[in-house]
Amino acid sequence: MFASDDTIVAVATPPGRGGLGVVRISGPRAAAVAGALLDRARPLEPRRATVVRLVARSARGSTPVDRVVATSFPGPASYTGEDVVEISAHGSPVLLEQIVGLARRSGARLAGPGEFTLRAFLRGRLDLVQAEAVADLVDAVTPLQARVAFDQLEGTITGRIAEVDRELLDLTARLEASLDFPEEGYRFVEPGEVAGAIGELRKRVRELLAGADRGRLIREGCRVVVLGRPNVGKSSVFNRLLGACRAIVTPVAGTTRDLVTETVDLDGVAVSLIDSAGIRATADPVEAEGVSRARQAMGAAAACLVVVDRSEPLAADDRAVLKETAAAPRVVVVNKVDLPPAWPPASLLPGADAAHRKSAPGGSAARPSGAPAPGVAAGRVDVSARTGEGIDRLRGELRRVLVGEAGSRETPTVANSRHIELLERAESSLGGAAEAAGRRADEEFVLEDLGRARAAFEELTGRRTADDVLDRIFERFCIGK
Amino acid sequence: MPHHDVIVVGAGHAGIEAAHAAARLGCSVGLCTLSRDTVGQMPCNPAVGGTAKGHLVREIDALGGLMGEAIDAVGIQFKLLNRSRGPAVQSPRAQADKRRYGAWMRSRLDREPNIDWIVGRVGAVVADGGRVAGIELEDGERIGARTVVVTTGTFLNGLIHVGPERRAAGRVGEPASRALGESLKGLGLRWGRLKTGTPPRLDRGSIDFSRFEEEPGDRPPVPFSFLTGAVDRAQVPCHIVHTTPAVHELVRRNRDRSPLYNGRITGIGPRYCPSLEDKVMRFPDRERHQIFLEPEGLDVPEIYVSGCSMCLPRDVQQEVVAALPGLEHAVMLRPGYAVEYDFIQPTELTLALETRRIAGLYLAGQINGTSGYEEAAGQGLAAGVNAARRARGEGDWVLRRGESYIGVMVDDLTARGCLEPYRMFTSRAEHRLLLRIDNADLRLTPRGREIGLVDDRRWDHFCRRRARFERNLAVVRSARVREAGRTVDAAQVLRRPGVTLASLAEQGLALDVGADATGAEASSVETAVKYEGYLRRQEATTARTAKDEGRRIPPDFPYADVPGLSTEVVSRLGQARPDTLGQAGRVPGVTPAAVAVIGAYVKRWGAGKSREGSAAAPAGRQPEPKAGVAPLAASSSSRAAPAV
Repeated sequence: MFASDDTIVAVATPPGRGGLGVVRISGPRAAAVAGALLDRARPLEPRRATVVRLVARSARGSTPVDRVVATSFPGPASYTGEDVVEISAHGSPVLLEQIVGLARRSGARLAGPGEFTLRAFLRGRLDLVQAEAVADLVDAVTPLQARVAFDQLEGTITGRIAEVDRELLDLTARLEASLDFPEEGYRFVEPGEVAGAIGELRKRVRELLAGADRGRLIREGCRVVVLGRPNVGKSSVFNRLLGACRAIVTPVAGTTRDLVTETVDLDGVAVSLIDSAGIRATADPVEAEGVSRARQAMGAAAACLVVVDRSEPLAADDRAVLKETAAAPRVVVVNKVDLPPAWPPASLLPGADAAHRKSAPGGSAARPSGAPAPGVAAGRVDVSARTGEGIDRLRGELRRVLVGEAGSRETPTVANSRHIELLERAESSLGGAAEAAGRRADEEFVLEDLGRARAAFEELTGRRTADDVLDRIFERFCIGK
Repeated sequence: MPHHDVIVVGAGHAGIEAAHAAARLGCSVGLCTLSRDTVGQMPCNPAVGGTAKGHLVREIDALGGLMGEAIDAVGIQFKLLNRSRGPAVQSPRAQADKRRYGAWMRSRLDREPNIDWIVGRVGAVVADGGRVAGIELEDGERIGARTVVVTTGTFLNGLIHVGPERRAAGRVGEPASRALGESLKGLGLRWGRLKTGTPPRLDRGSIDFSRFEEEPGDRPPVPFSFLTGAVDRAQVPCHIVHTTPAVHELVRRNRDRSPLYNGRITGIGPRYCPSLEDKVMRFPDRERHQIFLEPEGLDVPEIYVSGCSMCLPRDVQQEVVAALPGLEHAVMLRPGYAVEYDFIQPTELTLALETRRIAGLYLAGQINGTSGYEEAAGQGLAAGVNAARRARGEGDWVLRRGESYIGVMVDDLTARGCLEPYRMFTSRAEHRLLLRIDNADLRLTPRGREIGLVDDRRWDHFCRRRARFERNLAVVRSARVREAGRTVDAAQVLRRPGVTLASLAEQGLALDVGADATGAEASSVETAVKYEGYLRRQEATTARTAKDEGRRIPPDFPYADVPGLSTEVVSRLGQARPDTLGQAGRVPGVTPAAVAVIGAYVKRWGAGKSREGSAAAPAGRQPEPKAGVAPLAASSSSRAAPAV
């Protein structure tokens, strides 16, 4: 687990909240991994903070993710003593997770808890007193503590995983028994049932993974940007939402992006609410810059609130914003309903429902299943920022768009990157096992993959009991001549 | 001046291999036994091999041990288990002619000039200042030795139960070793009590075998030893009987007369080998249990009732036998019995099977909490090698988990200890796909040759076999064969289900597939090609863990001083005293995170100690072991010198 010849990556700043976040990459391939993320031809100069665009590269080209400050610290004079690259990005947990994800795709492994500090210690960068702090940190993932923390955070998930793990153990035990006790006169397992049983387990792991992004949103927060043409009441809606939600930090006004950001707690979901400059076609270069930043913020946001003015006829700029956000997760906020309407409610928002349906952030499985609350058209809420009417409904609808029905307190969600990685590993091993069982490969090869899946579960739950399989066999079957 | 380099106490399956290995390494060996007539006894099942056990025998053979050749010479029925399954779980098994097995072993040991027999009962292991000095016979005679291997099986305070009858005995008719047990406990070794059992023996002449389902042997038989050309011998069948509800009722009714169920037996028995009492009481829903009638030899009257071990009173046992359909008139020659015995917790041992408390004292076999002749023999070989090397001032020789079942077994025992008698299973080997019967020689014969275990005859045989393997593999990997008017990679063809090396040879490939009774030669090539992806993956896993396996933890490392470890983990590590970081991770309750912290502190602690000029070996200074070389060769330097 703590092999130190590979390259690791993780968010180095505390999770959630904060104007800036640091992603740290450490290991022999740190520079190469960073190089794959940064839009820059030359390598970073040692110990020089460099402003650079961070991009997501794919077959279709590269998409900008954020403008970041990257600094290279070649080993041994670095935090861990290895080659290190630190990337300071904007502090959205979602954005930081995305950067970590990109680094992983480029060959880095997600760092274990305390692993940077452990490496620093192993390379003599920390003294014994500091190292004791590491020990405590690492110890926080020993089974009991990990499980307690795990249970507190997302109780039901442990139960779900344990259930899958138990059935996996049972299947493993029966397959193993058929190999180790061939002369018992037992049929421990029907050859035809194996592939189906593995497929069923795999399906359940996939269900857990499908909720993963949503779970991460719940725990680590997300960005929501308020958009609209000037003077539709964006800032009033923004302020109303702040008032209606529990504010976590004071507003950070005049950030470099000319965006006002406030982090609020939307019934358990941490949301960085961003008030943007009005979006409209403009010739003014200063305003144009604001508009472009608003668009950029939209790109990194988990959802947007599109504010329109019910008391004035829809303008071309309104339609442009609506069109631009049609494919994104959004709530259309029909403001100023306390004033006489200038247009009929049903006629003018084509596409709002459709856009909403296909775009909640957890993918299809995270989609809210129920209908929206009464008085709210799907993806659209009538409010009056002046009187406060409809703001509660707006909160509910925004939350629904972000994390699904009622924040899914009842549906278990996987929220932690380490857990996701381990579940992904289990899922892929179960895939291999199902494939092998499907073509009736010899049991020991099916078991090879099942063993890998079990190892992932063991790491996930902190349970390590090599004799479990034999215990299960002896408990269930009368073995022995 | 000691009388011997190495004294081996006990001439059972562990003692035989220990004495033979030490002698092969050039040491003078004293082999101590109660009687020369009981060498290589099979007090229980008259068989060698079985799943995973057959793997152990192949490994012992590959290293130059005796068990494989012996069973090939005297086996009376051979079967390859799991024949229809994958290559990693196939395992040979054979019924032995008990008498001939022992006789073969004794004559083989008699031919070893380095072995002297000591006939007598050992009363004590003599230690001086934390170092072994020799043994003392019960008659008071002291015999000096540089190292001692104790392989006393079930003899330590052995107590045999048949219903209400109790007798202090190691095997039926042979008195237990009480004094030796007390002597070992007196040296401070932690111990426990286990139980095992054996079924009644029936008189062959009183059984009408035509009434049973017959279990014939394989034709042709698959031998155990890589040196056996072919087993060309008539085979005898076994027979299958099933218990009935009437038998179960009989057992239930007499439950209170079984020492297992009336509280007289406290030792813990093996779950994988339950007594008839346990089968009936613990699995009441089963309508019948399978029982094998196994001959104990060609010209002995005893029939072994496999699967029917019990310790009910004689009269009940006779009733049980008579209640088995087809055995109504069977004559019971002797009843089954349970035996309780003391064992030494193997966490007392290093990976070289040497006790931590007494330098030069090695334990192997059932005394370490294992069961089975094959498990005993594997340990005996390893302990014998290490005792010999220590006697000559050489370093420890340890087989790793990733290269052998013997390594898995020794590692399991020393890291985890025993809660019940330990039997080998293929599921215990996480690198099972790499540890096959077909490649035991490829894995281990070079290891045995390095240290002098493998003689020239075996080595020449092996070198030719390895060359053929490499040549055949190269041919398959490079050649193309014609198929339906086009050419295809031979390897691709071989990967198809049902295609064998022989069928490729028929297609005209220049393959050297000669006569090979074990089938290992073809299987090694086929497996290497057919399952290449799986094998690569397991090899990668072993390589990843090799680093931790090579990182030594000093024997006096203070776990209690490592912050963040729970009290329970500290206490378990303190008892198990893992030799390496990899082993620490297999101590129950120790997580990967804990291993990482321990690793960090071992480095620090070692560095600190070496600055202080302490005698303890700093782990950080140990050279990284090279692949294929005994990984713990430097470990003897870490042992505190005896305070003479």
